[in-house]
Amino acid sequence: MNPVLRRSYSEATARQRVAALMDPGSFRELVPPADKCTSPHLDAFRVPVSLDDGVVIGDARAAGRPIGLFAQEGRFLGGAIGEIHSAKIVGLIRRAIRVKAAAVVGLLDSGGVRLQEANAGEIGVSEILRAVFDARAAGIPVIGLVGGASGVFGGAGILSGCCDVLIVSDHGRVGVSGPEVIETTQGVEAFDSRDRALVWRTTGGKHRYLLGVAGMLVDDDLDAFRRALAETLEQPPRPPVDGVERGWQELERRWNDWGACRDAVEIWRAMGIREPERIPDLDVAAVRAARPRRGERP
Amino acid sequence: MTLLDLLRDLFPLGHSVTAAGPLVTGSARTAAGEAAVVGTTGSPALGIPLLLDLGRCYRRILAETPARPIVLLVDNSGQRMGLTEELLGLSQYIANLLAWQDLARRRGHRQVAVIYGRAVAGGFIAFGLQADRIAAVPDAHVAVMELPVVARVTKLPMEDLQALARTVPVFAPGIENFYAMGGVHEIWRTDLAGHLARALREADGQDTRAALGAARGGRKLAAGLVDEIVQAPLCSNR
Repeated sequence: MNPVLRRSYSEATARQRVAALMDPGSFRELVPPADKCTSPHLDAFRVPVSLDDGVVIGDARAAGRPIGLFAQEGRFLGGAIGEIHSAKIVGLIRRAIRVKAAAVVGLLDSGGVRLQEANAGEIGVSEILRAVFDARAAGIPVIGLVGGASGVFGGAGILSGCCDVLIVSDHGRVGVSGPEVIETTQGVEAFDSRDRALVWRTTGGKHRYLLGVAGMLVDDDLDAFRRALAETLEQPPRPPVDGVERGWQELERRWNDWGACRDAVEIWRAMGIREPERIPDLDVAAVRAARPRRGERP
Repeated sequence: MTLLDLLRDLFPLGHSVTAAGPLVTGSARTAAGEAAVVGTTGSPALGIPLLLDLGRCYRRILAETPARPIVLLVDNSGQRMGLTEELLGLSQYIANLLAWQDLARRRGHRQVAVIYGRAVAGGFIAFGLQADRIAAVPDAHVAVMELPVVARVTKLPMEDLQALARTVPVFAPGIENFYAMGGVHEIWRTDLAGHLARALREADGQDTRAALGAARGGRKLAAGLVDEIVQAPLCSNR
């Protein structure tokens, strides 16, 4: 694609992403900024509030289908999850179940639980996860998109793991413990968070796609995300009845096969990818072509 | 509370619960019937092998003892923070353990978590916080992040944080704080076996934690906001 025509997803705000990804004019925001539903907990820490508490929610259409949408604003406190933020997402998902939406779509961009309201955020994440599993049990797929500057870490990383489908860009990052957290708690020899190449090889979208954590890899482009979402909505995933068992077996195999690897390049080599050290330099299309198909693993 | 003391007080009618390293498994008799028991001991960090082991326990319980209630014995120091865990996609390992717990709920297994040691951050989300009923003994410790770390990140003096922690339950570690927020249903001070039997009978699979947090005053806004969003009318152009 001509880079000039691209509009960066990672540099867009949550509201710009919503406008670009939803069918024109279809988005109806719930609990909009005019409601001034802000965090009651930040003032004690002298932290300014945001009128949407860092998440935009509402009914929308994407690829012609009615969906429930939430979009985290990674620019507000790193998209961190507190009482209001989590309640908006829980309400949106339960609403999607009530109105039998075609899908729940989450534009995830969050470092996890908000420290200033850590207990509310932690419980809130758990409530979001319960709602996600309820939606999936009701036959409503939950689709996560990751390409924002905050990535998904902590509770948001766990949320991304509970989605039916994860769409990431090569700018997206997915993890549980962020590199800085690991370095702070385990020491720089465990993880040098200033080694940017190491950070990207480990948490970046390309590795997450090759590993199977994400099902789709797209360019850092609003239109690429819109098309990937449309494709997913047109052929929604049908989780097999024994999906939990299959997932467990796959994860055990992953641990047995690659648990001794110390670097993503070792894993890529073990997958049978030729010239794995070139992966960080390849464009998205080339990385997609390099991923071994299911069952082709040597 | 030690595992041995807990097992003695929780299961006076008898049990076959044993620990193999950090993993605790077995079965126990309660006044509400036979229960499967799964948990951890020694406050391990939940890394990939242990998460797979806990999943394996769920797999066996679902296959061999359909609809039998499950008691989760919670003691962990969080998710394991390490390069290997992140390289292999820890988010999916935690998500899979949560999926086992969800599947168990949908197949009629009532799940009661008893926090008897520590329950920390991602470890608590992965194992404990997702149960139908969450109970804690008084000397258990629940935390997302300890205060010195909060002080470092927020750049606020420890004294200010400690003073704030005395007036609001929303950020500081502690069982009482989680109780006020609705994240711990009950604190069991005496008669653990009686409480467990009652909790196993009452567990109904509904997530009422936001309403609890509102009733207890720790989380006043979440429950009402969730209801407002769920019930808001649909726009006609849909």
